[in-house]
Amino acid sequence: MSLLEDISALQDKTLEAITAASNSAALEDVRVHVLGKKGTLTSQLRGMGQVPQDLRAEVGKTLNRARGAIEAALEEKAGALAATELDAAIAAGAVDITLPGRSPHPIGTQHLINHIVAEASEIFADIGYTVVDGPEVETDYYNFTALNAPADHPSRSMQDTFYVVDRSGDVANVRGESDVLLRTQTSGEQIHVMEEQKPPIYIIAPGKVYRRDVADPSHLPQFTQIEGLVVDKGITFGDLKGTIDYFCKKMFGQDRRTRLRPHYFPFTEPSAEADVSCGICGGEGCRFCKGTGWVEVLGCGMVDPNVFGFVDVDPEVYSGFAFGMGVERIACLKYDVPDLRMLLAGDMRFLRQF
Amino acid sequence: MQISYKWLNSMVELPDDIPYLSDRLDLTGTGVEGVEKVGAAFTGVVVGHVLAKEAHPDADTLWVTTIDVGENHLDDNGTPAPLQIVCGAQNFNAGDKVPVALIGAVLPDGTKIRKSKLRGITSFGMNCSGRELGISEDHMGLLILPEDAPVGQDFAAYLGKSDYVYDLEITPNRPDCMSAVGLARECGAIFDEDVDYEPRTLVGPDETPGPRQAITTAEDVNGLVKVTIADDERCPRYTARLIRNVKIGPSPEWLVERLASCGARSINNVVDVTNYVLFGLGQPLHAFDYDKLARDADGRVHIIVRPATDDEPFTTLDGTARHLQPDMTVIADGNAGGTDGTPVCLAGVMGGLDSEVTDQTVNVLLESAAFSPAHTSRTSRNLQLFSESSLRYERRVDDAGCADNSAAAAQLLAEVCGGEVVGGIVDVYPKPTERPVLVFRPNRFCRFVGADVPRADAIHILERLGCEIRPLDAADAFKGVADHIKAKLEKKTDGFDADSFIVVAPTFRPDLTREIDLYEEVLRLWGMDKVVETLPGGRERIGGRTEEQVRVDQIGQVLRACGLNETMTYSFCPADDQDKLGASTTPNTEAVQIINPMSSEQDVLRRDLLPGLLRSVAYNQSHGVEDIQLYETGRVFFAAEGRKKPKEDKRVAGVLAGTWHPQGWNDPARPLDFFDAKGIVENLVRELAIPKLTFKELDADAAPWLQPGRAAQVLSGGAVLGWVGEVHPRACAAFDVKPAVAAFELELNALVKAACLARPYVDVPMYPSVEHDLAIVVDKSLPAKRVEQMIQSAGGKLLDSVRLFDVFEDEKKLGADKKSLAFSLSYRAKGRTLTSEEVDRQHEHIVAKVTRATGGAVRS
Repeated sequence: MSLLEDISALQDKTLEAITAASNSAALEDVRVHVLGKKGTLTSQLRGMGQVPQDLRAEVGKTLNRARGAIEAALEEKAGALAATELDAAIAAGAVDITLPGRSPHPIGTQHLINHIVAEASEIFADIGYTVVDGPEVETDYYNFTALNAPADHPSRSMQDTFYVVDRSGDVANVRGESDVLLRTQTSGEQIHVMEEQKPPIYIIAPGKVYRRDVADPSHLPQFTQIEGLVVDKGITFGDLKGTIDYFCKKMFGQDRRTRLRPHYFPFTEPSAEADVSCGICGGEGCRFCKGTGWVEVLGCGMVDPNVFGFVDVDPEVYSGFAFGMGVERIACLKYDVPDLRMLLAGDMRFLRQF
Repeated sequence: MQISYKWLNSMVELPDDIPYLSDRLDLTGTGVEGVEKVGAAFTGVVVGHVLAKEAHPDADTLWVTTIDVGENHLDDNGTPAPLQIVCGAQNFNAGDKVPVALIGAVLPDGTKIRKSKLRGITSFGMNCSGRELGISEDHMGLLILPEDAPVGQDFAAYLGKSDYVYDLEITPNRPDCMSAVGLARECGAIFDEDVDYEPRTLVGPDETPGPRQAITTAEDVNGLVKVTIADDERCPRYTARLIRNVKIGPSPEWLVERLASCGARSINNVVDVTNYVLFGLGQPLHAFDYDKLARDADGRVHIIVRPATDDEPFTTLDGTARHLQPDMTVIADGNAGGTDGTPVCLAGVMGGLDSEVTDQTVNVLLESAAFSPAHTSRTSRNLQLFSESSLRYERRVDDAGCADNSAAAAQLLAEVCGGEVVGGIVDVYPKPTERPVLVFRPNRFCRFVGADVPRADAIHILERLGCEIRPLDAADAFKGVADHIKAKLEKKTDGFDADSFIVVAPTFRPDLTREIDLYEEVLRLWGMDKVVETLPGGRERIGGRTEEQVRVDQIGQVLRACGLNETMTYSFCPADDQDKLGASTTPNTEAVQIINPMSSEQDVLRRDLLPGLLRSVAYNQSHGVEDIQLYETGRVFFAAEGRKKPKEDKRVAGVLAGTWHPQGWNDPARPLDFFDAKGIVENLVRELAIPKLTFKELDADAAPWLQPGRAAQVLSGGAVLGWVGEVHPRACAAFDVKPAVAAFELELNALVKAACLARPYVDVPMYPSVEHDLAIVVDKSLPAKRVEQMIQSAGGKLLDSVRLFDVFEDEKKLGADKKSLAFSLSYRAKGRTLTSEEVDRQHEHIVAKVTRATGGAVRS
């Protein structure tokens, strides 16, 4: 067999081997066997010196052509094998994507009441209200007197009050009562704010309040209120109505309607209770709303001039409105919590729902 | 306040649409808490006419009747059709009128009437006997009604027993609405109807209305009774009348029913009349047995209204012996000795046992008076004694009405109890309430409301409510108007324009003393619903949150991101929480005592958040929940002698028990411990950019509620932020909590104060670092932080950072009380790439220094 034929045979054999290579390693073996340092083709190339002069050009050309063909075949095959192998690797790497994800720990939850407080704060902050905060232990003056509740008037017993020991040595008029108490309403914040700043005032004051109610599914001795106060020139009852309506639509949904029912609070006049159309029946009347189509959400009214008198604001120049809402009540309306005591039990199974 | 629709409707015409009436009451400020149909214990019973009566083909004693029930039964064409009813009674004939229970009717014993078959014949209802309807004992046959009974009429309505009882919420500012007359006046204003009522004609529904004269004796009561008021602040008016020869007995049916509709029980005719006047006119009365009262020197009964003496004994008619205080007012009967007399009544609250009307009473002394709201309210609260009288007096009873109301009551007593009224009245009236004279500015009112309310509407509403309106040009228009207002009216300044008018408010409306009070009346009756909704303009306002609020929100976000769930616990706690912990987490403080706690479990305000959270852990564990991660942001309270109000601090605290999550498919369950809590604190501090965070070991004396060796104080520089640790097993046991519980409690104010608004920028390294490890075996008790600090201080300029990556203990390999700490040291130079020689040199230097300082050995 001539040298040229040998080369041709080597080329054919190598190309066959390349085609037959089933994976990258086999292909590499082929490459090393043919083109490696001691490869068959390499040694042919190295043996060019022994090739007779007259054949050298021909053999050289043939060898180079064979090398070119083999290298091209190798590259092509390597590409094909790589693609196959990647597919195989991907196929092998598939996981059951329905298995749970990995996290160092589940993310925590916000308490329902604080969630609503945050929501309400945002609604009012968006329309230019400042969020303020005040003491939970109050004096009679801030909780009642400056809110125009006359001494010994039944409006004071509307809420049963927790009294705390007065360490200043003062003595109260009624046995078992004291000048110092757990605030029964956030309304005292109205006085604090008006003492501290001059109008215009646009504030809300969320916070805990306390009343002597036995804890049961619909009562808690400790609950949460959000107080609102606006004092400015030219504030009207229509502004109060509009603000309540704006808030309720943001909090409960744009399809809700609101109405005001006249009521009595010592520190506002005229006073009203605000209802929002029932979310269960849409206002048609159902068991949830006791057939009225409305559910009560908050109390409100125009700031009573007597309250302005306590904080030295001239009611002939300024007017204002105030409102107060029970956050637990909103929680019940929005989330249908069947037992308010769950809000204070710390039950993980309850807390993790929100 | 409970009130009968029929009673109100007899004074003012009400709508007969009950839901509409309820709605109007609600929307004008009288809250409707309930409406109950009363008067008949049956429903669905109508007047029927027996058209035919035929013998039942298969039963000797039964009849098949054909009954016309008017429009209560219609055929397919909608025309009235008679019913076929099978009946077992024998006492009736065709043509009789009888009560018929329709299908669906409910009888007093609860029987519901259904379509049924009797011996093969269908019966579409039931003809009723008196006993079946609960209105007589007669069960021998059907109740045969008079011939003129209208066929088809609701039988309860036919009997005149059908009524609705309204349960109304009367706000404390409306004492006038605590009576039928006051509510009638209110309804007159709501529905723009006249109220037909004269105080002297308060008679029963069966009586002919119109003024009548009770029989009076020739005597004058002033010769028999004398009244002295010691303090007119407590009693602006006291009147007394005498009614002789009453016959105590049961009340007539109408009176019993009326009282029942107000929720009151019938006692006897005298007491019932006084209660009737209380509910009807809002005037509390007291009836004394005249013959049980002492006589003074001149033989008269001497009523003395005076403060009680200190600790004065008095037995109220409920049989309770009480001890009174000088703040309470008593009615005493002065005796011949001329002393202050003995209490016979606790003014405005309750009568005395010894002078109450009994079956033997013959002569009644009738008190009709006005007492101070404040004293009545305090007396009730101090004695925990509330009555229908005290409820009205503490809201204020109109002194102007005492004499007229007494006259109405005396007349009724004479009628109902058969007595004779002694002529005249003892009327001591030192302090008549004056009618307030106010000015209404309609234009200002419209600006205030934000709606155009016609002036004429305002005037009309106020008149309906009993106000007297005087135009500015009326004669004597300004009489009674305050001088400074008069001046403004004359000069037409400050909104006092020509449209203004004078309003004289009635004395029965103590809530109408200012112009704003009139605004409320006009607005609520004109209609709040007519006011257009607007939002305030307010050009100068800027909203937002304070820095503290922003921080508190941020802290909550970090803690939730760290896996904690926010909770809320009671601010109250039992006084022994601190004993259970071993000490308060805030030493040397005093708890705030609640005077009237709900229970001994809640008798002080908390000084720590931890106990409340431990109770929540116990709650969860007792309900089978073992993995617990909670935090709370709330206040703690500290009392101090001489200080009125306690100090309130805000805290944030967390508890961790169990694991983060149960064993997962690729994630083992790991018990939570000290380092989980510490990690959270570190994250929080990082997020708030609090500088110089250190943890200092807390021993058992400093923090007895924590397990020694797993307790640390958290500091930022010198400022204490709080603590972190594992709760002591003893404290856990005291709170019924299964250990281990890791916890922390931090001062919110300290966190906010230490938090930095901005963080300094540090250049990102440009040149590579070289890492070398150092594992050193040291005494177990040597804190890792100390070793790290030694490395840092020996590190020189080239040491960039030190990271502890392994702690290893093995008694055999390392020896007892030894541990190996492995650190990764990172070297870097600022402006160049380090050479390995200089790194090696520096590292050897550090190793030498640290081994010398710790006495440790490098672990190979």
